[in-house]
Amino acid sequence: MDVDVKSLHPLEVKTLRHVKPGEEITTKRLVDELSFKIGQCNQAFSWLAGKGFVDEARRVQTVVYELTELGKSYAEQGTPEERMLELLTQSGPLTMQELTGKLGLENRDTGSAYGQLSKEGVLSMDDEKRVSAVGEASARMKAVRRVLDKAAGQGEIEHQALDDAEQKAIEKISKKRGASGVPFKLSDREEIVYTLSEAGAAARDELFKKGVTGEEIGELTSEMLSTGSWKGKSFREYNIKTPPNRVLLGRRNPYGEYLHWVKDKLTSLGFEEFDGPLVETEFWNGDALFMPQFHSARDIHDVYYIDKPSHAREIEQPYLDQVAAAHENGWQTGSRGWGYTFDRDFTRRQILRSQGTVLSAKQLPEAKVPGKYFGVARCFRYDQVDATHGADFYQTEGIVLGEDVNLRTLLGLLKMFAEEIAGAEDVKYVPGYFPFTEPSIEVHIKHPELGWFELGGSGIFRPEVSKAMGVDVPVLAWGLGIDRMALMHLGLNDLRELFSPNIENVRLRRNQ
Amino acid sequence: MPKIEVYEDALYSYVGKRYNDEQLEDMLTVAKAELDGKDEAAGQLKIELNDTNRPDLWSTAGIGRQLRQYNEEKIPEYNFFSTPQVSKDYGERVVKIDPSVKDVRPYEIALAATGKKIDEATLKDIIQTQEKLCWNFGRKRRSIAIGVFRSDLLTYPITYRAADPDATKFIPLQMEGELSLREITKKHPKGHEYGHIVADFDRYPYLEDAKGEALSFPPVINSAYTGAVQVGDENIFIEMTGTELRDLILTANIVACDLADAGFTILPVKIEYPFDTEFGREIVSPFYFQEPMTIDLEHARSMLGVPFSLKETATALTRMGISAETDESRQQVTVTVPPYRNDFLHPVDVIEDIMIGHGMSRFEPQMPSDFTVGRLTEAEEFARKVRDIMIGMGFQEMMYNYLGSGKDFIEKMEISGDDSIRIANPMTENYEYVRSSILPNLLNSEAVSAHAVYPHHIFETGKTAFLEPSDNSGTVTRNTLGFLSADGEVTFNEVSAHVSAVFYYLSKEYQLQELDDPRFIKGRSAKILYKGEYAGMFGEVHPQVLENWGVQVPCTCCEIDLDTIIRE
Repeated sequence: MDVDVKSLHPLEVKTLRHVKPGEEITTKRLVDELSFKIGQCNQAFSWLAGKGFVDEARRVQTVVYELTELGKSYAEQGTPEERMLELLTQSGPLTMQELTGKLGLENRDTGSAYGQLSKEGVLSMDDEKRVSAVGEASARMKAVRRVLDKAAGQGEIEHQALDDAEQKAIEKISKKRGASGVPFKLSDREEIVYTLSEAGAAARDELFKKGVTGEEIGELTSEMLSTGSWKGKSFREYNIKTPPNRVLLGRRNPYGEYLHWVKDKLTSLGFEEFDGPLVETEFWNGDALFMPQFHSARDIHDVYYIDKPSHAREIEQPYLDQVAAAHENGWQTGSRGWGYTFDRDFTRRQILRSQGTVLSAKQLPEAKVPGKYFGVARCFRYDQVDATHGADFYQTEGIVLGEDVNLRTLLGLLKMFAEEIAGAEDVKYVPGYFPFTEPSIEVHIKHPELGWFELGGSGIFRPEVSKAMGVDVPVLAWGLGIDRMALMHLGLNDLRELFSPNIENVRLRRNQ
Repeated sequence: MPKIEVYEDALYSYVGKRYNDEQLEDMLTVAKAELDGKDEAAGQLKIELNDTNRPDLWSTAGIGRQLRQYNEEKIPEYNFFSTPQVSKDYGERVVKIDPSVKDVRPYEIALAATGKKIDEATLKDIIQTQEKLCWNFGRKRRSIAIGVFRSDLLTYPITYRAADPDATKFIPLQMEGELSLREITKKHPKGHEYGHIVADFDRYPYLEDAKGEALSFPPVINSAYTGAVQVGDENIFIEMTGTELRDLILTANIVACDLADAGFTILPVKIEYPFDTEFGREIVSPFYFQEPMTIDLEHARSMLGVPFSLKETATALTRMGISAETDESRQQVTVTVPPYRNDFLHPVDVIEDIMIGHGMSRFEPQMPSDFTVGRLTEAEEFARKVRDIMIGMGFQEMMYNYLGSGKDFIEKMEISGDDSIRIANPMTENYEYVRSSILPNLLNSEAVSAHAVYPHHIFETGKTAFLEPSDNSGTVTRNTLGFLSADGEVTFNEVSAHVSAVFYYLSKEYQLQELDDPRFIKGRSAKILYKGEYAGMFGEVHPQVLENWGVQVPCTCCEIDLDTIIRE
């Protein structure tokens, strides 16, 4: 039988080594022979029984006298009788009054002590009512003292351990209940007597074979280091396969970590980050992107309206005039425009940003040429919340400005994203439709795990968008749907989980 | 984006050849369309159309036409179009517009078709096209509503007028007896759906023929007699009413070309207006109104990045169904826009068709060569430092939705919510407010995480937004840090120590002031001041707030406005 003795506690080791197969093991033996405390005996039995190393042999009824608080003080400082005898022996005769005062006792205690001792011929009282010592401590007193001393070590003593005189003496100063006024509490106990089991005997052999004594150093303390007491000793070997405790650590949110990685990737590719407020106007969310105010293209993004203030005070000029003119008649963009009257109230209507492209549009007036920009923007859509639609979600969007950018550089950019960010194996470009880009391209990628899917949309900003914002060079605009990849990284399949409030879920979540 | 169902056989007869599914998917990219599903048993395909400016593609005939042109490089001839210069023969087919509709629903356009018995597939396609055009292009019938009628039952001229909603009655489709127009808006299912479009007017739009026979109450419902077109009918009259004349003409043109492709003969109809329109007082429909557009070859070349020749460019356009004339000396192409399209606002729109005509495989990806410096925003750099500190202190980063309920964001927090941003059109009360603080999110976490091993230390850096009258928008969005500790023994001293560590490692100084805030226990909460300005708060969360959230464990919370303390 293969017995693992490494996980045994020193108390178990010592017990196993000490008792031979067939012998009875009792608390008394462990106390007497191994100097265990009663509590340690109980621990050793409980652990060994749990492992099946000891079997119950029989049960024994015992009577035990436990020292009470009063008993402990008697044991240390002497009983009232002892103290009285000692005081009188040293100081000579004293009145009862004086005795009570000097010993710090109650009248009735001095009274009963004197009564008992005078009966036993130890003390006597003279005509002037003074008490003096006339004899040695009585046999009874000595028996009480022996009992107190015996019990002091473990805090208790078994009835069997006492001789007749002691048993007689203790009977009078112990009680079963309400024992606080006497030095001993009497209790009936049932003690289990054990013997080594077969497994216990095997473990015992193993201990001897390996030379494990139970005296090995457990925890290495700084005191051992400073005194050097560890020297020359061996260390208890631990079971290294014991399951460890759980660590609660400080940690990034794995989705945040993923977004962080995407941002780092984009900055490494030369993109500068932009950001903006959650509350936007119809102007920036739609009009600046050349989405006609009352066209079904506006339905693509059903938006949340802000209750109050319903409208922004003003829209930045000259962009308002330029965008309005681009819608109405094309302004100076080379377009014929949508041919309707631009609504300047509607354009100030405040909404929650519904698409990250807003930030791209807002960046245009201050963008550098050449320039590359990106943003990871929280967006809001009027959608039923379900596994594929969140109340709010992140969009990753950006623009590239340059004299020479064109459709082919747009495709090159998409290829770079597909490979660098999505780890795509294959890339396909198909014509797409977005109200603010012309031409528009969707990029589909073959992902090693997800298969073919649409990674993102892109295009070249319509001149009605870029020129109205004061930009005369072509502007590539792109957006990436990274949530699908984020879900895959995290082993999730429900978008709502990305913003889970559940602490345990988030703590346990990790990249797949 | 519209989705349509087409019969496979019908589609391929329009295309002129058959494809397997994979080939079809490839070909559909030419129409910015996707194969969305297939019903083998019914022989039907589901197709999603992505271009909202190409309503001509929202029918079997429309998709078929685009694919056929791409294959055959041949543009179909439609000879039934009138132009501003030349009108086609409309015979006796006249619609008179009454001045009364001018302020209600001013425009009407019509056409007739004959020469073929309508079969099941064609009827289904006509109804579907009509629905898609009205819903997606006609803004749910607000700007376009289409009706189809049995022209054998009609006597020209037809009149379009605004009628008394109570005195005017007819039997609408799906009903047994006569209803007044007003009753239709109240009792008829279509009345419930579309009645609101005209409900505010004293008089409702109404079409009737020369004998007073009702055609319809646009944009709501047709007559059950004249407007119930059936399989086997050979002569139909189609009319559309609405608010945008160009959109109506375009819609009529699309329907006319679809029917012509299906084998019908199109019969023009004259519409007589008593008021001026941008195309005059008489319009003979179908009507070609589009203007030619000229593109510089160099513009197309520089946008697409490939030096195509003029001839190649013209061929690419032909494949898209656009006839193009080339001008060698000016290096220009002038396109004639097809009668069923009106999506060429700018030369770039034509350039996209050139791109599609060439096929995407003609464009080799090329890396952008400009050198640019990448960088994060200052706020993001700062937030990253903050996150590192929080994680170092043993906090788990959380990420939350920004929308929530008034109950969570305001009521449970025992605050007034006076500075909260409310959504005017919430979908449900669960997402009615923008968060003005991260604290409710953190407490919600605590409320749903009592089973998670303690202690809990959680944080988020994210945005909060609230009302701020001084801003142009009346609101402000702030980058914010929020954190919470929950355990049997959390104390003010502990959260104060965390605040102190955050500021120490950001190399920032701060002062504290006593805080009186219902979210916290008074005397155990503090306001953080940075350079004398409010920058946050922290403390032991008030037991009333914990009780509101059903949290049974003491919590401390802190919120810091990062945009304030980022300043030097």
